[in-house]
Amino acid sequence: MGKSDADFLQRLHEEALQKQEAFFGNIASRLGRERRLQTAPVRSIKGAPEFWEDVQLSVEQRVELFMSNWQKAGGHVQRLSRMSDVKQFIDNFIATTQARHLIIQDQDELAELRTALKASTDINLTVWNSGAASEGEKDELVAKAAGADIGIVAVEHAVAYTGSLVVTSDPARGRSVSLLPTTLIAVLPLSRLKTKLGEVLRPFDVLPLKERPAGIHFISGPSRSADIENDLTIGVHGPGVVYALIVDEI
Amino acid sequence: MSEHKATSSVKERSKVALNNDFLRNAVKFTTERLKNGKLAAAEEHGNWEEWRERGRQIRLHTIAHLDYYLARFVENARAQGVHVHFAADAADAVRLTMQIAEHKKAKSVVKSKSMVSEELHINHALEQLGVEAVETDLGEYIIQLAGETPSHIIIPAIHKNRYQIAELLSKEAGEELPPDTGILAGFVRRKLREKFLEADIGMTGCNFAIAETGSIVLFENEGNARMVSTVPKTQITFMGMERIIPTLDDLEVMATLLPRSATGQKLTVYMSVISGPQRQTDGDGPEEMHVIILDNGRSLQLGDPQFQELLNCIRCGACLNACPVYRHIGGHAYGGVYSGPIGAVLTPALNKNVAEWDDIANASSLCGACYEACPVKIPLHDMLVYLRRRKVERGSKDPLEQAGMSGFKFLMSNANRVKAFVKLGRIGQKMLVRDGHIKAKIGPLKGWNSYRYAPSLPKQTFRESWKDIEQGLAGTLPELSTDIKARMEQLMAQRTGGGKYHG
Amino acid sequence: MKVSLFITCLSDLVYPKVGASMVQLLARYGVKLDFPEVQTCCGQPAFNSGYWNEARSAALTLLEAFEDSDFVISPSGSCTSMIHHYYPKLFENDPVNLAKANRLIEKTYEFSQFIVQVLGVTDLGAVFPHKVTYHPSCHGSRLLGVKNEPMALMQQIRDLELVPLPHAEDCCGFGGTFAVKMCDISGAMVSEKSDHVLETEAEVLVGLDMGCLMNISGNLLHRGKPVKVMHLAELLAEGVKLAHERA
Repeated sequence: MGKSDADFLQRLHEEALQKQEAFFGNIASRLGRERRLQTAPVRSIKGAPEFWEDVQLSVEQRVELFMSNWQKAGGHVQRLSRMSDVKQFIDNFIATTQARHLIIQDQDELAELRTALKASTDINLTVWNSGAASEGEKDELVAKAAGADIGIVAVEHAVAYTGSLVVTSDPARGRSVSLLPTTLIAVLPLSRLKTKLGEVLRPFDVLPLKERPAGIHFISGPSRSADIENDLTIGVHGPGVVYALIVDEI
Repeated sequence: MSEHKATSSVKERSKVALNNDFLRNAVKFTTERLKNGKLAAAEEHGNWEEWRERGRQIRLHTIAHLDYYLARFVENARAQGVHVHFAADAADAVRLTMQIAEHKKAKSVVKSKSMVSEELHINHALEQLGVEAVETDLGEYIIQLAGETPSHIIIPAIHKNRYQIAELLSKEAGEELPPDTGILAGFVRRKLREKFLEADIGMTGCNFAIAETGSIVLFENEGNARMVSTVPKTQITFMGMERIIPTLDDLEVMATLLPRSATGQKLTVYMSVISGPQRQTDGDGPEEMHVIILDNGRSLQLGDPQFQELLNCIRCGACLNACPVYRHIGGHAYGGVYSGPIGAVLTPALNKNVAEWDDIANASSLCGACYEACPVKIPLHDMLVYLRRRKVERGSKDPLEQAGMSGFKFLMSNANRVKAFVKLGRIGQKMLVRDGHIKAKIGPLKGWNSYRYAPSLPKQTFRESWKDIEQGLAGTLPELSTDIKARMEQLMAQRTGGGKYHG
Repeated sequence: MKVSLFITCLSDLVYPKVGASMVQLLARYGVKLDFPEVQTCCGQPAFNSGYWNEARSAALTLLEAFEDSDFVISPSGSCTSMIHHYYPKLFENDPVNLAKANRLIEKTYEFSQFIVQVLGVTDLGAVFPHKVTYHPSCHGSRLLGVKNEPMALMQQIRDLELVPLPHAEDCCGFGGTFAVKMCDISGAMVSEKSDHVLETEAEVLVGLDMGCLMNISGNLLHRGKPVKVMHLAELLAEGVKLAHERA
């Protein structure tokens, strides 16, 4: 099943344009306007309360808060010095869990790690890069992610106050890599750890359209649900085991 | 929208609910857990009242300028390749969805949680077309298998115990599954994995649309909304026209209020900001993304000073967890898609066939706990009174109540009439008083006396005894102290002639 | 200075002792309460059921009764919040009466508010050697914001053992006509409230609203568990009397 017919989409679009007029007209008239408001209304209240601006934590405080929140949500965390430590951690993890299938983003931060893992014969490594992929090849990548024991990513940002990692999508960073495997190992470069949500969100407001990623994902622990008699269960659809590896120097 | 509910009334459905011990215990346990979670999270975060007011202001502003912000959203979403559609009502939205599904020759659809889609009964419509529509949120999946509607906005299967759930899932599995949460959840994970990977269309709701970036934001804990918006090639997002805020900066406020109010979490496990379909060289995400903006009665609230604030709602469920009535009767007793205090107002407000839904507004003691709990300060307790007033203005169908109120008016417009009435009452009660109480369950006393004894009238009303009280105190009063006098005079001097509370 | 008593229909007709207690307590501070006989009812029972015209007829008697008063005191958080919170809506389209209503709002106090905020007194010199638990009525606490005043007053009563009521903020299920119209739900709510009262093993249940207290005590009696209920004014009046007797 491929993309929709251009004609079909065009037809729907024209229908939408027609209905749009009535839709906005209705809203405007109910709000007491003759036609819909075209200029931005003045706003004195935007975003978080003013006192929130003053909440700033030192790097070490951020690390402590992030780790506390992450662990309370059921995530695991390690503080490491450099990427070689990350490599060692992952080697141990693979050995302990007997993981066979790994998928890793094609990010620069993970280059060293990729090379080392590629060299290993015990594991099956997929590198996510869809830059030149055909449709079938993209499907392959998703399938590989679905079958992976471990997905490895480097995060773009992290928020201490909520204990969240932030990943965004692009050809070298598939959304599936942090979502489909059973385990997620996320490398968090220390310099990317912020205090508050707003610090990460605001820059996206001003990002030019062309640069805006299709997916910006905040991840705050392992997948969970309490839908059955309020009994908490971990790993419902997303990864049930999540590791945040805070690395001082990339 | 014109929903048609079962022919029974809230009162009748409540009676059934009140007799279901498991339901009552389950609802009580769940709402208690969520309510305490919210209180603890709000306390830990601090300055909760300031954040609430902030949330309220952002939502009020957006709704008051909905024509502007919605237009910005549409513009920005389209610029990113989203196909935006408009649906005046449920039928319209369903038609659009069917057209897309048919065109794609879709065989299966996976859905993440969406209260708006419940309004549409979209699963049913898809099934008519021969398209398999699978709910992927664990609670929604369970009630889909049971053929039921959600009974709580956040925890839809709260009314089901693990044995019932095990039975439902065992049937689906084709083998006996034990009533163990881990095992049951494990089965659902495996089963739905297949569905995610083979589905033609992914359907989502929309917690917030961001006007200035044309994005939709999804909050969830399981990961199914991410799945549904990452794997299938086509995505359809249903969006209530009021679910919008200006910027991602504003999202910080909503992201602070919503998870804490719903479950006591600092943030849901996943918060996804989706800005259009996949980019050309992305490897996953939908190739084609549709957003259907739904009215279905929402615009009716605009320009109505008593109900416009209703559109502030962020569907957190905090009011359900605070409501003592909900705690006793659960969600299904309300009869509509939405339950609890928000449901009691939203259902009559959205539906044009208001008269049919009138009795829901009566299922409240007006205690105000919902208003206290609401993260965006919607005065639901006031709105319930307004709904009741509108019903009376349209012509109440309760002749007994009408007569009672006319009697009330007659009596209470003149103190002398009250005096006369009391004398009658004393004579009348002689036949009913036993040991100083009235226990008879006849006529208007039936409702009260089914659960209580009513007090008998005293020998003298206060006003009948007033003269004696006054005389008894004559000459015994000390002088008003200078302190107190000064305080009283100061308070009087501060008065403006305008209304002010002393709270 | 004219300080008037807004007796409320419930206290007038069914619980006159509450009014009498208020008058006696305030007299000790030199506050002579006057009682304008024109008053009947704040109109809340009709208002909450959507009968606003009928409610207005009753409310007008209050506007008339207290037009010349400097202060108005009521033994009910619920009736006081009806005036504060809803009179502006009730008289929205009637500028003359709206102005009267706004003036009334500024001078009307719930009983414990008046004692603590206006008199500036928390210790009335009362003695009450009993185990007591307190139910905070919904309208008083949520709409009027009366939370600290009753606690401040009770903490000063000598020999009183105050036991916290579990889930105190939960509504007792009275809600005026709700108790009759939705009697099964109301019954479930009041039974739960009574359970909590019984858990405290208190001898006395005290509160600021006779509607709630009538509801809860009625249920307790129905279940054969006669816990005494008292309005805070009654409790204080008895406590002051006891202190005198002991002195």
